[in-house]
Amino acid sequence: MNYSIGEITAIIIFFIGVYGVIARRNIIKTVMSLGIMEAAVILFFLANGAIGAERAPISAAGISADPIPHALMITAIVIGVGVTAVALTMFISLYHRYGTTNWTKAQKARKEH
Amino acid sequence: MEILLTRYLYILILLPIFIGILVYFVPKKFGIVLCIIAQVIHAGYSVMVFISSKSNPLLIALGGWNAPVGIELFADNLSAVMVLLVSFLFLILLLFNIHRHYVNNLFLMLFLIFEGLMCAIFLCDDLFTIFVMVEVSTIVVSLLIMSKRDSRSMYDGMIYLLVNIFSMTFFLFGLAMLYKQTGTFSLRLLKTIMSDVTNVKALYLPYSFILTSVCLKAALMPLFSWLPKAHGTPGAPSVVSATLSGLYVKGGIYLYLRITNAFYIIDTQDFFLVCGIITAFVGFALAIAQSDIKLILAYHTVSQLGLIMMALNMGSEVAYWGGVYHILSHALFKTVLFLAAGMMIEEYKTRNIHEMHGVFKRMPWVSGAAICAILGITGAPFFNGSISKYLISHGSNNLLFDIILIIITLGTLISFVKFLKVFTGNGKRAKVPKLRSIIIVLLGGMCLLGGLMGADIIEILFGYSAHVNASEYTLKAGIFIVSVIASYFIYFKLLKGKSFLSKIRDFDIGINGIALSIVIFFAVLTGYLYII
Repeated sequence: MNYSIGEITAIIIFFIGVYGVIARRNIIKTVMSLGIMEAAVILFFLANGAIGAERAPISAAGISADPIPHALMITAIVIGVGVTAVALTMFISLYHRYGTTNWTKAQKARKEH
Repeated sequence: MEILLTRYLYILILLPIFIGILVYFVPKKFGIVLCIIAQVIHAGYSVMVFISSKSNPLLIALGGWNAPVGIELFADNLSAVMVLLVSFLFLILLLFNIHRHYVNNLFLMLFLIFEGLMCAIFLCDDLFTIFVMVEVSTIVVSLLIMSKRDSRSMYDGMIYLLVNIFSMTFFLFGLAMLYKQTGTFSLRLLKTIMSDVTNVKALYLPYSFILTSVCLKAALMPLFSWLPKAHGTPGAPSVVSATLSGLYVKGGIYLYLRITNAFYIIDTQDFFLVCGIITAFVGFALAIAQSDIKLILAYHTVSQLGLIMMALNMGSEVAYWGGVYHILSHALFKTVLFLAAGMMIEEYKTRNIHEMHGVFKRMPWVSGAAICAILGITGAPFFNGSISKYLISHGSNNLLFDIILIIITLGTLISFVKFLKVFTGNGKRAKVPKLRSIIIVLLGGMCLLGGLMGADIIEILFGYSAHVNASEYTLKAGIFIVSVIASYFIYFKLLKGKSFLSKIRDFDIGINGIALSIVIFFAVLTGYLYII
């Protein structure tokens, strides 16, 4: 498979996000890492939608880029915002109950309840 | 008639969602009536869709745009049966639950939206739309899990949400790579494109990205640790646990079937066969160690999903239909068991199975239904589990698989020995609302009916004529009785009160561990594809 420079960047960023979820114990950082992964996916979609010097899909003149990835990524961005909002709201109420931002401590607190 | 059905297929998805939103704004009493009316219409409509999809599959392009550009809804036999199952179980569960205190407008709204999303997962033909539906349903489910506001379910809901979002990002990344290779998300078109693919290796990476997250949804071996937390959490009402365990995880299995069917040039049957066997073993081993009634049932779901996965990948048609029938049977008996468990927890105010005694004296009807369900899940003769297990072992036609199936049955039985103990003993008759008794007995009776008329039901639903050989079936019944006796001795002589059980019980990996296991699964699957 041939990857363009944008796609390779996207793959690297994606696995940086994966590393964040695996290695960080802070709940906020987990949510942030998920955000990074999602940004990487969006970059990948857009990078394979526009390889040459096409115009934006909205303009009529000339060869335009493939509009489908753009349309889909708007949906993905909206969903990403929704998910992040729900995750952070849940985190706030979890913080009020357990008083911690650490996964391990939260796990311990859950066992004691 | 047919044209009418095809054109309005999306009613199955939009009706529950719109009614759910409407219910949020009207008074509760009126809202419940509205919900039930909508559910009856939904069930009737899904029956009509099922009947007309039997002759030929229904296909509708939303907004008049065909597949590569637009979104298509697709109802063939399998998806119509799944929608039928969802519709009927939701109707029954709604009736079961109407007098509970936690049923407020918010709960009804979330519950109905959840139903609509589940129908959408079964009906959509487009992988990106499926991604959207799964993502939104993840949010709805995590809110439903926390609807009783128990402090433990805060952590469970959070883990559920983040783990599933993490895996769905893998799915989306797989879709991005798939789009680069094929230029479409439609499963129907993908299947037609596959025959022209020259470079199969280019599809390996998207395939393993997508399947990793589908296997997390289907709770395969290293990826199941979120499931007991979500399905067995104290915060979720028993109806929510029942829908999650009976129906929602089947969405994962269904997607697995659809996607492997579309990517038929990539052969991973052996890999998932082994995964299924390991999942089945680990599931019952963990179930034996538990003493929390809901967690026992949740781990059983894992074990049964492994069994289904194993059946679907045996490469035999009989075993395949056995697996598909087991999806339906499992939905029935798991629903009964979760509802019965919920009623027992309310009655005894505890979740520890060793503190419950004399359930049969207190709630005879509920116990009867629960015993039917237990006989169903363990595969006792004349109950629905026995038909599917018979078909699986008949289809495998291999001594090794027969032995594996017997071990799975034995393990399931061992974990239900302590479950059966709760029925014995004395107690005084408890008050059970009549409607609840009727519903649970009805569902328990369906477990029995599914066994007595198993072959006919498969014929009616899927048009596949399965033959049950009487002498072979009797042999299986004999093996079952021997395993009942064996399981009794194994539990009381070998396992009871041993300290290693409590060590297994305390085993719990956090989100870092779960994420690591997802990445390892992904790496192993990719490696398997490239090497073999």
